[in-house]
Amino acid sequence: MPVVALTDNYTFPSRSRQELYGDDQLVHVLWKGNRMMAAAATFRAPKAMPWADFLGALVDPWAASDPDYVPGSGSGWTLDGQPLQPDPGKGLAELGVGHKSLLTFEA
Amino acid sequence: MSKKLSMQQRYAALTRDLDWTPDYVDPAKVFPLTSFEGIKVHDWSAWSDPFRLTVDTYHKYQAEKDKRLYAVIDGFAQGQGHLSLSDAQYLNAMKLFIQGVTPLEYAAHRHFAQLARHFDGPGPRFAALCQSIDELRHTQTEVHTLSQYNKYYGGMHSNWKMFDRVWYLSVPKSYFEDAMSAGPFESLIAISFSFEYLLTNLLFVPFMSGASFNGDLPSMTFGFSAQSDESRHMTLGLEAIKFLLEQDEANVPIIQAWIDKWFWRGYRLVALIAQMIDYMLPKKVMSWKESFELYFEEQMLNGLFKDLEFYGIRPPMHVQQAIEEKEILSHQVAWTLYQFSFAAGFNTTVPDEEHQAWLREQYPDTFDKLFAPQWAKAKKIQEEGGRFFFQGLPQLCQVCQVPMLFTEVGDPETICQRQVVYEDERYDFCSDGCQWVFEREPEKYVQAWLPVHQIYQGVCGGPSVPEVLAWYGLQEGDSGEYIGSLDHKDWLAWHATAPVGS
Amino acid sequence: MTTGTPVKSVGVELQESSDDARMVIEAIQRDNADVVVSYLPGLVKVQSPGELVIRRETVEELLGRPWETHEFQLVIVSYYGHIGEWDDDQIVIKWDH
Repeated sequence: MPVVALTDNYTFPSRSRQELYGDDQLVHVLWKGNRMMAAAATFRAPKAMPWADFLGALVDPWAASDPDYVPGSGSGWTLDGQPLQPDPGKGLAELGVGHKSLLTFEA
Repeated sequence: MSKKLSMQQRYAALTRDLDWTPDYVDPAKVFPLTSFEGIKVHDWSAWSDPFRLTVDTYHKYQAEKDKRLYAVIDGFAQGQGHLSLSDAQYLNAMKLFIQGVTPLEYAAHRHFAQLARHFDGPGPRFAALCQSIDELRHTQTEVHTLSQYNKYYGGMHSNWKMFDRVWYLSVPKSYFEDAMSAGPFESLIAISFSFEYLLTNLLFVPFMSGASFNGDLPSMTFGFSAQSDESRHMTLGLEAIKFLLEQDEANVPIIQAWIDKWFWRGYRLVALIAQMIDYMLPKKVMSWKESFELYFEEQMLNGLFKDLEFYGIRPPMHVQQAIEEKEILSHQVAWTLYQFSFAAGFNTTVPDEEHQAWLREQYPDTFDKLFAPQWAKAKKIQEEGGRFFFQGLPQLCQVCQVPMLFTEVGDPETICQRQVVYEDERYDFCSDGCQWVFEREPEKYVQAWLPVHQIYQGVCGGPSVPEVLAWYGLQEGDSGEYIGSLDHKDWLAWHATAPVGS
Repeated sequence: MTTGTPVKSVGVELQESSDDARMVIEAIQRDNADVVVSYLPGLVKVQSPGELVIRRETVEELLGRPWETHEFQLVIVSYYGHIGEWDDDQIVIKWDH
């Protein structure tokens, strides 16, 4: 249903659209079953960033907020609801991770 | 002949006799905003205002209310009243208030000034004008009152800047901007009905009773002083909805959709209040759950909505989810603020044993099972010299803008994730309610200024946390852990048995 | 409290402040048979099944001075129900339907 507006052609661009992040994109990461983390985290990451770097540089430091976290121990990854077996050398976009994709893991 | 006109006659003289119909300008040009929303009004004169306020009575009683308030503020300042609070931690509630609620009063002042200009009928125009002035009074009295604390405590110094910039304050800000950018009828339902009638008691009454109980007499006084205007605003909301429903049957489905939308938007907004009631008041008045049952379930669902059934209006969509959440909401939000308070304008800490005992008593089915374990772990981290913070930025809901902390109905351990692809872009939602709001008007919500996304665009002071906090206007002591904070240290020093002047 | 009550109640919340407020509450008790009065910090909650009326004459008698119904604005904090009538002599709160 469209907005009921005073003027015709009520259209505006998204304020979070991918082009505003250049070669990067936003990626959400949810640690399933961990009740310490109140919500999923959002990161800004280069589309070409290899999976291993994404884990080491972004996910691990965040997940280490919980002192029980063992770096690299995430398993059972999903991408936008589908199981994901990430190749550590492949880039995020290559793995199918898009702008505002949701990754989940368990640890 | 009686020498004085009756209330009714005076009100009629003001709102009817002073009105005229334009004859050399097309009325549609004088009132250009009241047709595009599809609302049909056949007879504006059917609008009634039970308060029957006139200019003289309005000013007489408002002046009296202000006189009473300023007497209290003066006495408080002279008597070092801030030292009589139950605890300095109490002021975290008032920091949240001046950051998140006072700017809404100002927004409401602008909003009702707009309505006072644009409604075709003189009755609602005058009611909106009075409310516009009320809201400005509330803004001023709240600033004056809380400035008494700003002299001694952190977090209150830059509330206007913070309201525009800080992540959790985008929740109230976006709520109001959503309303103000709608047409005049929708915004009236959004603010006057959903906010002022349905939800205001949940916001104000526990806040002000909490102030009274925690030794904050000036806030209690401004709160009740504001709230006495609020009862007039509630009346405007209820009159508005009845008037519109009675004018034309075609209005009913439009109004129902607005009730559905604005109930959910408002309910998500008061999540901040839920945690304030249960976690920020050192001396407790009532729990969120109790207050929700009393002010919402009993008074609104069993009272108001039974009354509105007559017009074919049903309770708001998604209301069942709100009822389900009453056992968990405040805990989930408090836990979130605890771990993000490194970037907030208030301090948080692990509730002490006495506080947890109260929470356990109020929430026997959920507190121990779902929330006490995290607080225990956070306490242990603190005892070992650390402090549990979420070292990153949270995923936000595109509509309510609250971090996506809410859980699935019936499964309080699974975070609810909803995603919609609209014009090739993904959008995230915390709940079916927020997803539904988006899908009605996606063109509107794609424009949301989501704090986390903006920080990552580099437009919030810079890429690092200290740069963002500086851009927020936060200063040393405003944020983070309460134990050992500036407010805590000052409070202890002021209450140590030291000679005067030392 | 999700179970419906047979008669929908209405109510007002008043400031627990001056003698004026106390007398208004007493007047409400006098003029309404089944009111329930409860206390919160700073606040008095008055609930009544079906309808609640505040009469000028009763308030004036208790206060011992003239009182106009507009003055009720100085003590009211909140209410639920619908203000069905507010004139020089009385204020009536009830649900319409």
